[in-house]
Amino acid sequence: MMDGGQTSTSAAPAGNSSDFVRKLYKMLEDPSYAEIVRWGDEGDSFVVLECEKFTKTILPKHFKHSNFASFVRQLNKYDFHKVRQNNEENGQSPYGQNAWEFKHPEFRANSKESLDNIRRKAPAPRKQTQTTDDSVPTQQIDLLNQQIVAQQQQIQHLSDRYAQLTVDHQLMLQEVMRVQKTVLNHESVIHQVMNYLLSVDARQRRDSKAAASFQAQGQAGSTLSPSQVATMDDEPSSPLQQATKLLNDMNAEIQFNLVGLDGVADPSKAAGAVVSAPGMDGVSRNGVVRAPAAAANPALVYSKMNGDVEPVVYPVGATNGIDPMYGEHVKNVPYPMPKQEVDDSRRQQVQQVQQVQQVQQVQQVQQVPDNRKKSANVDPGWARSPRILLVEDDQTCRQIGGKFLYSFSCIIDTALDGLEAVTKAQANPGYDLILMDIIMPNLDGVSATHLIRQFDRTPIIAMTSNIRSDDIQLYFQHGMDDVLPKPFTRKSLLDMLEKHLSHLKVASQNIEAPQSAVPVTMAAQSSAAHSIKEDSSPGQSPATSVNNWQSPGQYPGMAAVPHSMQPVPSQYVPATPGPAAYAVDQNGVQYTTPTVALAPAAPAARPQVRRQLSEMSSAGENPGMAKRPRMYAHPSQPIVSSMQATRTG
Amino acid sequence: MSETIDQNTFEQILEMDDEGDNDFSKGIVFGFFDQAESTFDKMEKHLADKDLGELSSLGHYLKGSSATLGLIKVKDACEKIQHYGAGKDETGTNDEPDQEVSLENIRKTLTQVKKDYKEVEDFLRRYYGESP
Repeated sequence: MMDGGQTSTSAAPAGNSSDFVRKLYKMLEDPSYAEIVRWGDEGDSFVVLECEKFTKTILPKHFKHSNFASFVRQLNKYDFHKVRQNNEENGQSPYGQNAWEFKHPEFRANSKESLDNIRRKAPAPRKQTQTTDDSVPTQQIDLLNQQIVAQQQQIQHLSDRYAQLTVDHQLMLQEVMRVQKTVLNHESVIHQVMNYLLSVDARQRRDSKAAASFQAQGQAGSTLSPSQVATMDDEPSSPLQQATKLLNDMNAEIQFNLVGLDGVADPSKAAGAVVSAPGMDGVSRNGVVRAPAAAANPALVYSKMNGDVEPVVYPVGATNGIDPMYGEHVKNVPYPMPKQEVDDSRRQQVQQVQQVQQVQQVQQVQQVPDNRKKSANVDPGWARSPRILLVEDDQTCRQIGGKFLYSFSCIIDTALDGLEAVTKAQANPGYDLILMDIIMPNLDGVSATHLIRQFDRTPIIAMTSNIRSDDIQLYFQHGMDDVLPKPFTRKSLLDMLEKHLSHLKVASQNIEAPQSAVPVTMAAQSSAAHSIKEDSSPGQSPATSVNNWQSPGQYPGMAAVPHSMQPVPSQYVPATPGPAAYAVDQNGVQYTTPTVALAPAAPAARPQVRRQLSEMSSAGENPGMAKRPRMYAHPSQPIVSSMQATRTG
Repeated sequence: MSETIDQNTFEQILEMDDEGDNDFSKGIVFGFFDQAESTFDKMEKHLADKDLGELSSLGHYLKGSSATLGLIKVKDACEKIQHYGAGKDETGTNDEPDQEVSLENIRKTLTQVKKDYKEVEDFLRRYYGESP
């Protein structure tokens, strides 16, 4: 062996050859390792007692790797030999079962100088390259091993996370399903309420039929035709009160559910409470419209949990770099509520707004008589000023649009983007119409409409220059009611208002307007406005035509009435929220007005034919609004008659 | 000015002025000047960045307000920029696959629209009794 070691001098540098051995010696000098590795009892060998600890703690310190096999190979290269312990008489090593004892004749305790005699064995030339190659890869392998361990840890991490997310997802799904159920329940309750309202309405009319015809005849004797009496009808208040009660019950139920399934949503609950409160005051509109708002709350909360995902119909915002002109970008519906919506601070704002809203409504109730007086005397174009939400990001368009609306005696609220529009529509269910730009930052108009449609049926008009047919189709698909092409003109805007707010016009407007009731603000508007009115009034709106004109039986010549009767069945179905919710939406505020006192007289005169929902809405409005002007209109009866004559003939 | 300003559109804004002053329409028009100038600046910047999407979006934005005021030429140019930025030809019907072509088109259009805008701005400033 010694020969081998000595011949190797030429192959390996002298200093290098003893390096390993010196390290080995130094390691054995450390007494703190005695439990793990130490000199053999005779001092002519060394023993690794704890192979595992040795590999993990000592090898890295002294030899910069943690591979025992590699260490053994190295020893072999320097001609160390493992001392075999399995002699016949004693199968045990004196150092324990798992001990490794190594020996080299020149490697002895307290004999440092003899270390120089330990040389690397001379390998065959071919073999030498192999061995040097061998030592490097072992280190690389060690490195790789470490990396694998690290990666395994990462994988473990990821799978843990995945499992957690799966659970979360499951929870989310359950929550969403519960919310859906709630919404369905809610819809069916509305349905029931509607049916109930209708049945009560029918019964009352049946009961009062005789009285009605009697009274009608009596008054026809004076100046009124029976039909005029008929149009003075009003919805009896009790069914609507009943409806309110039912809706309140439902509200309570929904809130209960919310509490049950939504521990996270304290703000939501609070909001729910605020939201439902107005329903108690017997205002049918508040009851109906706000209930969906309460139901919508869970959705808000969940979308917050959804995190940052905020798909919108159009890729909006100036930074998107996608052409907003083309509907192909539109893919996903429905969209989660933008998360800003549910920030607690924002929510509180909403609450505050809602509270303010209530106050405003109260104030408004007080103001209504004044308005009415004013509208009867000064601006009979509207029974009351329509409340318009103008959603437009461009300042110029917003100012001009607002000014036009103002000139039409509208009360204008503005929102600078879709997000603000949703917030405002949510906080304030009292808008009569929403004018919605399409391409806006933060949230586009179509997405905003889609969101608003989750809780409100206020007519929404798209204001846009994108009026290709597929664009328009898209608008309608997402719940918009009409399109006002940009740039709009004063006339086109007025046209749109007249078309969708005809129920807000003084009830007898069709008859009187040409003679006596041209709105002052419209007087400046040239004859164009007149022709719009006249053109659009007959068939445009079932509500108006039914309300203003009378039963079809009496005036067979009027096309408007049969036309409007046709959609009746579908209007009872909650799934077509359009006319139904819309109608109810228009109801409420006026109903609370002191003029309700006028109502009791009305049911008596109610004719059998008037059963539409849309008409009910008008009726609900009547006690406050339409009725009064009609009273004022009495002196103009001769005109009415002549008008009817022409229509009929 | 008739091919630059649509008279009917502009007049209906003038009609909104109170009797005796034209504060309303003047406010709108001068507000538009600010808007247009800052939009042009942004367009130049995004032209340098070759950000077509942003250019299209800005074109759309200024198109709306210029159309509302009846500033036909500006509106038409903005519409072109909107289309070019969207990788289309000037009418928005056919695709223009080459970005560089689109950018060049926008560059030309932007130069032209600035002239058109200047013309109408001068006119309107004179109209409101200010020296341009």
